[in-house]
Amino acid sequence: MTGHASPFSEALKHAVLIIGALIVILPFYVMVSYSLKAPHEIETNTGGFFGAQEQMVDEYCVKLGNAREDCLETPAIFNYTQAFKKAPLLRYLANGVIVTASIFLIQALVALPCAYALAKLKFWGRDMVFGMVLVCLLIPVHAIALPLYIMLAKLGLTNTYASLVVPWTISVFGIFLMRQFFKTVPDDLIDAARMDGMNEFSIVWKVMLPTAIPALLAFAIFSVVAHWNDYFWPRVVITGDRDLYTPPLGLREFRGGSDGSDWGAMMATAMIIVTPLIVAFLMAQKRFIEGITLTGMK
Amino acid sequence: MAVDVAASSALPVAVQPARRRALAPASLAGYAFVAPAILLMLVILVAPVLIAAALSFTDYSLGNPGFDWVGTDNYEKMFSRSTYTKMLTASATYVLVVVPASIGLGLGAALLINSLKRFGDFYKTIYFLPVMAALLAMAIVWEFSLHPTVGIVNQTLESGCGTFLEQISDWYAAGCARNFPLWFGDRDYAIWTICFIGIWQGFGFNMVLYLAGLTGVPRELYQAAAIDGADSAWDRFRLVTWPMLGPTTIFVLTITTIRSFQVFDTVEAITGGGPSKTTYVMMFAIYEKAIQHNLIGIGAAITVVFLAFVLFLTFLQRWLVERRVHYT
Repeated sequence: MTGHASPFSEALKHAVLIIGALIVILPFYVMVSYSLKAPHEIETNTGGFFGAQEQMVDEYCVKLGNAREDCLETPAIFNYTQAFKKAPLLRYLANGVIVTASIFLIQALVALPCAYALAKLKFWGRDMVFGMVLVCLLIPVHAIALPLYIMLAKLGLTNTYASLVVPWTISVFGIFLMRQFFKTVPDDLIDAARMDGMNEFSIVWKVMLPTAIPALLAFAIFSVVAHWNDYFWPRVVITGDRDLYTPPLGLREFRGGSDGSDWGAMMATAMIIVTPLIVAFLMAQKRFIEGITLTGMK
Repeated sequence: MAVDVAASSALPVAVQPARRRALAPASLAGYAFVAPAILLMLVILVAPVLIAAALSFTDYSLGNPGFDWVGTDNYEKMFSRSTYTKMLTASATYVLVVVPASIGLGLGAALLINSLKRFGDFYKTIYFLPVMAALLAMAIVWEFSLHPTVGIVNQTLESGCGTFLEQISDWYAAGCARNFPLWFGDRDYAIWTICFIGIWQGFGFNMVLYLAGLTGVPRELYQAAAIDGADSAWDRFRLVTWPMLGPTTIFVLTITTIRSFQVFDTVEAITGGGPSKTTYVMMFAIYEKAIQHNLIGIGAAITVVFLAFVLFLTFLQRWLVERRVHYT
């Protein structure tokens, strides 16, 4: 802003922001550090950030009848291998990828043609359809969770991949966003494609889609972050079948069944779930912030 | 791959000879393109709202062959039984604490970062991290950090015992003499601790929106204000920045409020609504009553009240945007 920022006030601002940053970072610090440490170091709060990484005895392994020497482990490696051994974490991660990817693909498949029609095609009732999209934008997903759950239960679809994906196949926000974007594409481009004999269907996928990549990417980030991190909906529809657990459900199950001795492995699981998005965010911050705050464009 | 699926739905159009500029194929294509979306909107979004509204007047349970209409019983229960009045109190407390705090901190952080000469992006990145991380995972990490005995927070607090901190704060002295709070296990602290996590998670989002809003404030306005005698930082904020951020604030206010009504992950994972229902927020109540206990009617009634809150807020926002915030 205007001029006279003294070095003193600049330092004061940094001091305030650093204190804030320390509080924000605290749980991340705990998560990383404790995922590396041995249980006794966690309990006594010793060992610094990385822990001493002394060999420790895995009591469970001893109980199974193995010799103590064979049960020596390095804490960091022990925690991370336990994360995969105690629960089928790989399966959970694969489920997370399958669910988030299917949701985004179907959302795009439904939204792009619809958005194109609403932006560029003339037909009777178009404004009514767009009005419907605007009304549906008002419905928060949490408000339809219960009736959707009942519908899925009646159809016998709870505890299936379908129940995790189907409710999200329609993104009115995606339709709205892409329609606003397609509005800015010049009509000449579409007319030229029609002159070349392209039908409307190929226009959507071969002409409009390529122009929409930046907007679609922002929407992809928005959608993937929301559904990878979602806990509420999987908790509602996946009740028994562990094979269908998404990563947050898997971690919750781990926590629920824990007797408090395997905090290290639990923190390692949390790390594995949180890391992919954090790394992606750090590598493409601008895009991510754009994508996550997309809702700001409504 | 994915294209094939859509191809079949648009096939009648594709088969037509491409008559140049003819309106018919384009409008046919229009219907074919919006049809799947309309169908999904009706089945997935519109129908459930109507179903929820209808079920809220029944005593329906999954697995029962039929149900009875019970009039407004469910709603009356909600405003008379102590479980549900506690629910409304918990949700209201959460919203009334988290919304102002996370907006205030978001705005404060944005203003500070915006006025920095260097390293602004560094803080922005850090403050945005909680928005990206799965809340459920972080809730479990917080639960552990705030563990009464082995948690890093209480251990750090204990290490401050015997120092000047005991003299300056009665709260601290009491903590050293007996115990520091149980946080999630203490009914005087639980809801505030849940609120704290909500603020921790959400203020970075608001900060980013405010930073975007700040780039839209024309510099000339500050110069003009300076000519008019606005010298202090507070005057510049009061006369230029705050009014210019009006639209951003209205938006941030609405979205933060709606999100706060939806809090679920932290409550389900950490407190389960307790102790003594002090953290029994609406989303958790819907989950517990309707899905775990199969009391669909009351769950639907809570859903309808929740929806009413959200719609009211959204319309209030639209109204405010249209009425007032055009640069006072």
